[in-house]
Order: sequence, then C-alpha cells, then structure tokens
Amino acid sequence: MFLKELSDIPGVSGFEGKVREFIKEKIKDKVDYIETDKLGNLIALKKGKVNKKLMITAHMDEVGFIVSNIEEDGKISIIPLGTIDPRVVLGKKVVIGEKQILGVIGSKPVHLMEGYEKVSFENIKVDIGATKKQEAESKVKIGDFVSFAPNAMVHEEWISGKALDDRGGCSILMDLILSGLDLYYDTFFAFVIQEETGLRGSGSCAFKINPDFAIVVETTTSGDNPEFPPDRRSSELGKGPVITPAHRGYVNDERLFNFAVKVAKENNIPYQIKRRTVGGTDAARIAITTGTPSLVISIPSRYIHSPMSVVNISDYQNTLKLLSLILIKEVL
Amino acid sequence: MEVKEILKNLSNLDGPSGYEFPVIKYIKDVAEKIAPVKTLIDNHGNLIVRKKGDGRKIALFAHTDEIAFVITKKEFGNYFRIHTFGGVDPKVVISQRLRIHTKEGISYGIVGMLEPHLQNEEIRQKNITFDDLFIDVLDKSDSVQIGDLATFDSEAFDLNERYIAGKALDNRASCATLLYTLELLNQFIVNADIYFVFSVREEDGVSGAVNAAYKINPDLAIVLDVTHGDILRPSYPKIETGKGPVLDIGPMVNYEYFDKIKNLAEKLSVNYQIEPNGDHSHTDTDRIQITREGIPTLLISIPLRYMHTPYEVVNIRDMEETARLLSFFLARGGE
Amino acid sequence: MKELIKKLTEIKSPSGREENIRSAILEELKEYIDGYEIDKLGNLIVWKKGKKEGKILLDAHMDEIGVLATHIDEKGFIRIEPIGGVSPYNLLGSSIAFPNIEGFVGVEGETSEELSKNLKNLDFDKIFVDIGAKNKLEAEKLVPPGTFGVYSASFKDLGERIVSKAMDDRIGCAIIIEVFKKSNPYYTLYGTFSIQEEIGLVGASVVAFNIKPDLAIAVDVTAHSDTPKGPKRMSLELGKGPAIKIKDSASISDRRIVEKLKNIAERNNIPYQIEILLRGGTNAAALQRTGEGIPAGTLSIPTRYVHSPHEMVDIKDVENAVKILKLLVESEESLF
Repeated sequence: MFLKELSDIPGVSGFEGKVREFIKEKIKDKVDYIETDKLGNLIALKKGKVNKKLMITAHMDEVGFIVSNIEEDGKISIIPLGTIDPRVVLGKKVVIGEKQILGVIGSKPVHLMEGYEKVSFENIKVDIGATKKQEAESKVKIGDFVSFAPNAMVHEEWISGKALDDRGGCSILMDLILSGLDLYYDTFFAFVIQEETGLRGSGSCAFKINPDFAIVVETTTSGDNPEFPPDRRSSELGKGPVITPAHRGYVNDERLFNFAVKVAKENNIPYQIKRRTVGGTDAARIAITTGTPSLVISIPSRYIHSPMSVVNISDYQNTLKLLSLILIKEVL
Repeated sequence: MEVKEILKNLSNLDGPSGYEFPVIKYIKDVAEKIAPVKTLIDNHGNLIVRKKGDGRKIALFAHTDEIAFVITKKEFGNYFRIHTFGGVDPKVVISQRLRIHTKEGISYGIVGMLEPHLQNEEIRQKNITFDDLFIDVLDKSDSVQIGDLATFDSEAFDLNERYIAGKALDNRASCATLLYTLELLNQFIVNADIYFVFSVREEDGVSGAVNAAYKINPDLAIVLDVTHGDILRPSYPKIETGKGPVLDIGPMVNYEYFDKIKNLAEKLSVNYQIEPNGDHSHTDTDRIQITREGIPTLLISIPLRYMHTPYEVVNIRDMEETARLLSFFLARGGE
Repeated sequence: MKELIKKLTEIKSPSGREENIRSAILEELKEYIDGYEIDKLGNLIVWKKGKKEGKILLDAHMDEIGVLATHIDEKGFIRIEPIGGVSPYNLLGSSIAFPNIEGFVGVEGETSEELSKNLKNLDFDKIFVDIGAKNKLEAEKLVPPGTFGVYSASFKDLGERIVSKAMDDRIGCAIIIEVFKKSNPYYTLYGTFSIQEEIGLVGASVVAFNIKPDLAIAVDVTAHSDTPKGPKRMSLELGKGPAIKIKDSASISDRRIVEKLKNIAERNNIPYQIEILLRGGTNAAALQRTGEGIPAGTLSIPTRYVHSPHEMVDIKDVENAVKILKLLVESEESLF
C-alpha cells in the first residue's frame, strides 16, 4: 500500500508530474510495457492469457488551485481546480509551484467578525509572507499550482490526509501490478490526469488502447457522519468496496456490475452498492469516447475534496482483494 | 492588409452559428488572394486554409460564428417572439434594431420597450428575461417565418484611432488576426505545415473546430479567441485593451509551448498579458486538448470590451501584435 | 401503427437496462433489414442496402427514464435516485414498476408544516417507495439495491391522440421501424437504436463512429406550447405536423438538413412545423460531434407532458413523420 507516500505528493489537476514519476519508478520493472502519453497519462501493460483488452484506471490528480493573480499587497489570489467547498480551505497550509513555496490561507480572527461572514474564493487569499506585489512575484507566478500541504497520517485502522481521492485508486493499481497476479486479459493500467477538472485524461487513453471493457478504481463519497441523514448516505466506511450501479453521465454495464457482485459474494468479501448517483467518473468519459462498457469500484472515503479525508484500511484491503480476484477471471 | 477594413467587413457580415457561410466565403476569398494556400470547406462548413510544409503540423483555430436571434413564434400584428443562438443579456437587446434574414431578403424589426409614462412599479422593477421581449417587424412582416435568424443591425466604425466598435468582434477580431498572420508569414521561409481553421458553431456548443482538430490531428493546436478586457474581475489580473495579446494559462494549456511563446514575445518586445483559467477556458481549447490521443494546446486571446453586445470594442494594435507574435512563432515551427 | 407503439412503449427498459426493448425492436425489424450489429455498449445498429453509394442514418434512443433503488431501510421502505430526468413531482400519486413488483411513492413529513414544505420543494431525499413489505428482508428479496424501475403506466388510445409512458423515445423507434418496413432506400439506410440517451447521449456518442454516414437525423419527441398558458415563446402544436428542428439547447441542426426536410414536406403537401426548443436536447448533438463530424438534425414529434407517465402525441404527426422520412430515404436527390 503506497497511500501515505502518494497522498503526500503534490499533484493538482494539470500538474501530475511528480505523482507520475513516483508511480513509474515503482512499477516500471514489473510491467511488459510502459509509456507516458501526450497529455501526461501513464499507461502500463501487463499481458494476460487472452487477447482481449481490459483497461483499469485511477486518476493521479487531486483537487487544488491555480494562482490567478498577485495582488498589490503581496497576497496571492487563487481559483479552484476541481470542485471544492470554499469553507474547507480556511486556515490551511499550502504549497505553491515547482519551487514549493509555502503559504497559509489566512482566516479572519473571530474577535473581529461581525456576525457570520460568508466564504467565497474571491475573498480567499494565500499569504506567502510577502508584503508587496514585486516581492511575491519573485517567488510565484500566475499559473503556478497551489496544493494543500502534505499531511498524511497512518492510524491503526485508518489513514487520514489529502488527496485520498484518488491516490487510493492509484495505490490499488500499483499493488495489483506488484502482486504478480495471473492476469486473464491483457491488462492496461492507466494512471490518468485531470479527472477532477472534467474527466479529461481517460478518453485519450481509451482512444489509444481501445479496450474491450474498463474498470475505474475510485475513492468515493460516504456521508456516514452524524450531521447527514442516514438514508441519504452514499456508502459507509468499514462495509467494504463500493460497486456503483449508475452515476452522472453513465449507467454502469449490467454484466460487469453483476459479475463484481458475484465475485464478492462467492469469496465472502464485504461489499456495498453505491446509494447515490451524484458525481461522475472516468467511466462516463470512457463510454462516450470508445463505446467501452465500464464499471466503477471504489474505496469508500470521508471528506473527499478537502485537505483532510479519511479511508478505512480494511476497506482498502477488501477493495484490493476484490479487484485481484476479478482481474484473474474471465469477465465478458 | 488594412486590418481595420478587413475587421469592419467581417463585423458587418452576418454569420450566426450554423449559418456562417457568408463569413466563410469572405475569409476564403481573402486568404486565397494574400498567400499561396490550399483551401477546403469540410462537411460541417469549417474553412481549412493550409499552407503546406514538411515540418511540425500546427493548426490555428478561430471560430467565425456570432451570437444571434431566431424567431420562435408569431403573435398578433407584426409582433414575434425571439430566442438566442448563444448567450445574450436580454437587457442589451432592448431598443435595438435587428436584421432578420427571411427567404425574401432582409426585414428590420425593433425590440421595443413600453414607454416609461405607462409603466407601473412592477414593470419598472422587473428583471428582464427573453420571455418579456418581443420584436416589432417593420417591413415585409408577412415574409418573416418561425426559424428565421436575426442579428444586431450594427455597422462597424472607428472609435478614436486605435479602436473599432461593431458587432461580432467576438470572434471576427480573431479571424482578422489570423488572416493578417497568414499575410505576415509571406516574409518568412516556413517549414511547418500550417492549418488555419476558421470554424463554425462555437457559440452553440457543438463546435466544428473539434471535428477539424480530429481530422487534422496537429502536433500543436493554437486557439484564438477573445477575452474580457478593461473590466475588474476579483481574483483575476486586470486584462487591458492596448496592452497586447493575452497568453492563457491553466490545465487546458501545454506549459512547454506556453513558455516558448512567452519567451518569444519577450525577445520580440511584444507586450503580452497572462490570464489564468481554472477548470474551463470556455473556448474550443478544452475539447481540442482531449481529442483523439490528446493534442498539445495553446490559447491566445484578444482583449475585448462589452462581449456579446451590439457594439463590442477591440484595439487594433492588440490584433496586430498578436499576428506579429504568431507569425514569428509559426515561422520558427512553434519553438 | 398504434399496435407497434403500444408494444414498444409498454416494455420496461430504463437507461442502462435496454435489453428488453432491443430484442423487441430487432424482432420487429428482422425481415426488413440486410444486417444488424450490437456494439460493445449495447447500441443496436441495423441497415438496408441502397442502390447508390451514400449513407443516411436515422437514430432513436431505446432507453426511457426511470429510477434506481439504492437503499432499503429497516422497515422495508425503499429509497430511490432518478435515472434520467424524472421529476419527483411526477412520482406522487403514480406507481413505479420494478421487475418483480409495483411500488407506490410516499412523502416524508413529521408535521403538517414539514409536509407542506416538502411538497413545495420536493426532491428525492424526501420521498420513498412502499412495496407493501413488512421489513428489510422481505423488501430486499423483491427489490434488492441496484434494481431499476420505470413508470407504471399503460398505453391509451384516445382516437387521434395516444398516450403512454416512454413515448420519449419509443415513438422515434416506432417511426424508424415503419420507415424500414415501408421504404426501398436509394442510399444505404442505417437505423441506430441508441442506449442511455437520457443519461447523457451516451450511446449516440459512439454509435455512428464506424458508419460515417453522410447525414444523420435523430427522431425524438419535442415539447408543446398548445396547452393553457403553455410556454409563450414556442409554437408547437399537436396535430399540426412533425417538427423540423432549428435548434435546441444542445445543438443547432445542420441547415441543409432543415432545408431538405422542409422541401420534402412542402413538395408533398405534408404538414410540418418549425421547431426551436428552449430547453432540451437530442442525440443529434452527439452524432454531430462524432469523429470528423457528421451533419445532423432532428425530426421531432410534438409531445405533451414529456417525462411524465402519460406522454401524449398525435397519431397524424407520427404518420406524417414516417411519410417525410420515407420520401427522404427513397429520394434520388444528391445527399449534399
């Protein structure tokens, strides 16, 4: 499991280079073929017994920001990349650009507030310790990425940190590659870019590979906290991998869905059916690019798209187990 | 080439999304006159102007369509209801004259507003939407049919020395800039295989440019569009007319090519501005980048005031400088 | 044709579960086609060879909107999410047909105030489905999470007007089937019956990729403006003819296709209307985007109460649509 190391790498949508390097280094000697495509997707192939093509994907990017302006007072304006609730960014430490400049998203002291003050990205600024525009400009520039600072921690049963969506999926793919499975199909492991900004990397991979079917490994929503009505939860931590029937833009392939459920049942792996259809994944992009039937299997997670998300380690293990069993079998 | 004249001519032509042919034809004629090129109109209506070469394949894109209106329903007398092709603030259509293209020629209509004397408080305070508007057709109203298209009846003119005002400068300013770039290229020995794509239907969302990109599959795609100039946007740098081309940056842009064109601008003393983009640039760049196996992209914008209104305004110098930068960049094969 | 429409609309096939409707369509077409293919996603593609080189494609989507059972509570009540544009208001007082049982929709409300508030702002969080089960176990046997359901509504013949669920877009499927049955195509005629249109034009995004037709026409429903205080800016009336679409919010029809269809209707005295749809889209948008691009347009059937369990069309509009398309398909005019 590489979740802690992957979580700590900065890899905002469009700036996945460092994540890609880490993954490539670890897997390159264990695959039959590896390449980085024109957009920055990392594609690795491990041959199987049968000539059909399975593409299994996870996205390397995390939600974050881009420097949109450097203000006169030396503060940095940012705009989000991916969907972020502005309220989760107050009082957080961030890292900017290749030079890894540290910054703080300051927050107004409560003493000075008059009533409730709404938060929007327009009034959020990053403080890098510069007092004038010129000073700030010598350190950062418009177009630099802004990532939540690394903060991953491994607890006994949990892992907390940023970017578990979808470093969880990336880690699973890496574990699948390194575990030396007896793969049934020619399996393309695609670590894709820019999922959070509109499912932008997976289509090109699908176009290149033209797989017979695809599995998307995500880290998904739960909602199992005391503030959210239990009947509206998307999934629950501790209850195993989440298999999705339908989500925005795509109803998952019925045969793949039934197959995954069957494998879980037959091998006593706890699993759950995703209860909400909100949100989309690369399965939709893949389906409309090459007409490839797809399925989404996810690790349930809390507080994704924030600097502090949580994953249950046994859910991770069970997701890995389920996928390990699927990849060695004849599915379609 | 008199860029001003070309731009005014382009502005005055009517080419709503899906009905761009008069604009396409004009651009084709100009392109064929000014440079040794091969032209082709594809099955969507995109005009592809190719300056053949053996080197890197570079395609530049500018959409030719403008926002427009369509007659949707006949009311009593000469009155009709309208809808838009593309996004338009309904308030800016009030008290405008529109040119309606009917099968028997042009008819003029006015989008009228009730005189203030007769208005009550409710009418005065209303947030106007297209459901509140109607068009009063003043000639040949019998020949106006549902489905007929209409454009702003604006005639382009010089605003002071450096500016042009007119309709459809989004995106005719980019089209004129590309034509000027094509002309400037005549002064160089060019190795690259260059495609100028004057595309259709960008305002509508289906976008012919993406299909053209699919077909050409260039090594580099440069999209030319317009952006908001001289208006304050919180968290964004102030983009100004007269300060040169805008080089866009963000996840939909290839950073290596961005650095190359930026460095070139500095070498050539071309004033440039940088504009950040988040998830979307709202131009053809987003979809061109993810076409096929992916295409490296650049987005360059011309600052424009009053976008999607009957009189948009651009600075001619911005267009000329953009063309100058592009011509050198293309002559160097995108380096 | 009413029999065919009744048969198709009564089949239960929501987006993502098109197997039943696909088999039925294929069954109807078997003797009238030269070949068929079911692609990886499940789109059905059929064809009938013509005499001249060239390809015309007619598309209709097979899927209907529906709901997905996502969770069952301890008492056996089922929570649902929409599949496609189902408004929760359309479920109140109507029933849902799951594969094994029918369910009835209820609304939450601990107080009369809360109930009133919920009814004013109804969403899927506030409703649930009752299949008469006494507990979770009993409910799960009949409707396990992951089960799809559709409106429970049967076909009604009112004479000139016919009503059913899923006219969107079984009416398009029926029209294309009739065109295949009745025409002797000049160019090669392709019929594509696409999946998951209601979810996001999924099937149509890829269905024409290998065919590369010269032109494509989606046959789908459109709205109406001829009911009391109907949309004031549109003019679409049942019985005034099929509608030739200029634009909707997803795409603009290729103007050459608009002209072609108009000319055919006018030359042959077939009533037609010109359509601008303010909100909504069809597969034409996806077809246009395919690969190097395909000129596309839509021929629509004005429909009342779209996306409700009781969609109403005029049978004459449907028959006139078949007439126009048959003439198009048999015309020896050059394609473009």
